[in-house]
Amino acid sequence: MIEGEERELFDRSLERATADHTGAALDAVLRELGWREALAHDLRAAVALLFARQGAANATSGALDQVLTNALGDTAVANAVVLPPIGRCCPPGSLVDSRLRVRGIGTASIQPSGTALVVARSGHSDLAFVVETGSLPRHAIDGVDPTLGLTRIEGEVAGATEIGAVDWRAAVAIGQLALGHELVGASRRMLELACEHSLERVQFDRPIAKFQAIRHRLADTLVAIEAADALLEAAWLDGVAQSAAMAKATAARSARAAARHCQQVLAGTGFTTEHPLHRYIRRILVLEQFLGSTRTLTTELGNDILEHGQLPSLLPL
Amino acid sequence: MELEAFRKSVDDWLDDAAHELDPAFAGRGTLEQRMAQIAKVRRLAFDAGWARWGWPEAIGGLGGSTLLRAYLSEAVTIRDLVEPGLYSMPEVLGPSVIAFGRPELSSQMLPPLLRGDEVWCQGFSEPGTGSNLASLTCKALRSHDGWRVTGQKVWTSLSQYANRCVLLTRSGPVDSAHRGITALFVDMDSPGITVRPIETMDGEQEFSEVFFDDVSVPFERTLGEEGKGWDFAMDVLPYERSTALWQRAALLVRRLGDLVAASEPGALDPTELGEVTQLVYAFRARSRATQHRMAMGGELGPETSIDKVLLAASEQALFDLVEETLSEQVTVGDDPDSDRWRGEFIYSRAATIYGGTAEIQRNIIARRMLGLGADR
Repeated sequence: MIEGEERELFDRSLERATADHTGAALDAVLRELGWREALAHDLRAAVALLFARQGAANATSGALDQVLTNALGDTAVANAVVLPPIGRCCPPGSLVDSRLRVRGIGTASIQPSGTALVVARSGHSDLAFVVETGSLPRHAIDGVDPTLGLTRIEGEVAGATEIGAVDWRAAVAIGQLALGHELVGASRRMLELACEHSLERVQFDRPIAKFQAIRHRLADTLVAIEAADALLEAAWLDGVAQSAAMAKATAARSARAAARHCQQVLAGTGFTTEHPLHRYIRRILVLEQFLGSTRTLTTELGNDILEHGQLPSLLPL
Repeated sequence: MELEAFRKSVDDWLDDAAHELDPAFAGRGTLEQRMAQIAKVRRLAFDAGWARWGWPEAIGGLGGSTLLRAYLSEAVTIRDLVEPGLYSMPEVLGPSVIAFGRPELSSQMLPPLLRGDEVWCQGFSEPGTGSNLASLTCKALRSHDGWRVTGQKVWTSLSQYANRCVLLTRSGPVDSAHRGITALFVDMDSPGITVRPIETMDGEQEFSEVFFDDVSVPFERTLGEEGKGWDFAMDVLPYERSTALWQRAALLVRRLGDLVAASEPGALDPTELGEVTQLVYAFRARSRATQHRMAMGGELGPETSIDKVLLAASEQALFDLVEETLSEQVTVGDDPDSDRWRGEFIYSRAATIYGGTAEIQRNIIARRMLGLGADR
């Protein structure tokens, strides 16, 4: 376990790393810091600390792919994973006449040459395949957040090697927690930016932070963030996949609320590219769609409850 | 005793004593019936020892973590034995009276409270004093043999049942604001006290106006120091917004499950059900973390306003869904189950009002957690 002073030092290193670096440069620093080893050693601390910092700094890295390969049990053969299509959390692969087809999204971790994992649903089990990234049918996407360097992957994959059955749902759950922390980190930073602005911006001879309409928006933002953080903690403690999905859905809904309130408080300034807010809004729009959108996860939860006539498991006091 | 062992023992006891503990009425019951039920559950749980765990030995408790008493309150709610709003009152007032009252007072007064032999009420709000608590005017004058109290309180829950009142008074000059307040522990059978119940929208007389006409209160019934009643109030309010709410989370989970069971196939929209479930579980997760923080000795402060905002949001969302899904029961049902859904739906409207309004909670969060300064 990473605890006490060690945890604080590790967190401070991650804060610096994510503030100073992004993309491949951040991956290199994370390697130096031993983040991947930390992932094996204390999954919760490694995921919660890094992703909250990454979200707050608006940095990008290959950490989500590493979390997923780690959770799928194979960190040696590949360091990238094809993500499900936008909004979905099902495996991106399917087998048609024993041929692997894929429809999903690739992060910047999928390099022109290298390997990636594709998980495909086959009957009741999920099978993992290692593929050469060069053989993936990929198209670059700019979209709302071009800094993510995403690709759309759609078509048949030649030369895939099956490496066995995997627990996709469990891996998705860890990925959802990572995204949840990243969304919370981004939301907290948006709230800081809006609070700072509300104290500096003067209208009617006083900072706009004095106006209750502004104060209540910002208070609501903090409430939404803390609700998401509480569910993330509960999901780590109970280890139930459904709890992780609830936490991720809530974190994304909270992030959207944070974006709405903070952009309104920042007003014209927050609508321009001269203020950093827009980068956070772009990022959370995409993160919400990874491994299940809020709508997908929420409807799925409701359907599960109705189908089984039973509420999700309750974390005991 | 450890929580794990306590949980098992309490569950076993609740199973064994079920025939004694179960309410004798169906549905929501009248306020009288619910108060009698709570007194019975308290007495049985106290005599069996379970209601004494988590409270200090000095006041008749058996010691141990505050999580123990939190678990008991959750367990009796999940089993539908008590109504949290009425049952959680010792959680709100008990800890602060122990912390601020003289040791002899709390060792005498807490046992009958915890055993359900007595009821306390909380005399804070006044006709002219709602969110702005420091403006209260109920006057306490020093006389040679004690305080003389004259004034009026309002929204005082359960005061017609109460044996004691935890009362905030103005002992300083009229304009002394939060500096001139003194907290007193008052016997409700003192001469000069008149209680006038007020009927609420759900047809209950849960709270009252309380009039004090030259009521005598001994000096040794002062809670904390003279003029330091604000500190006492600031100690009580976070409990009202946190530990008492854990039990409310248990109620919301239970009623969410009841809603799923009571709904016709196709009546519940899955997306709405999913969202309400997420809200209720998020509130419960937040409240759970607060219980653990308090058990570890953490002080409760402005962050408890977040718990209160989450309670109000999730309770109202849940009962909005109830009203949409079980519309017939809520609007025109005459059976006990319908009566309960209707009563709870109406009561949920007050969640953004009682225990500090939604607005004052947001003001507290803005000022004390976000550092936005005073709003004036």
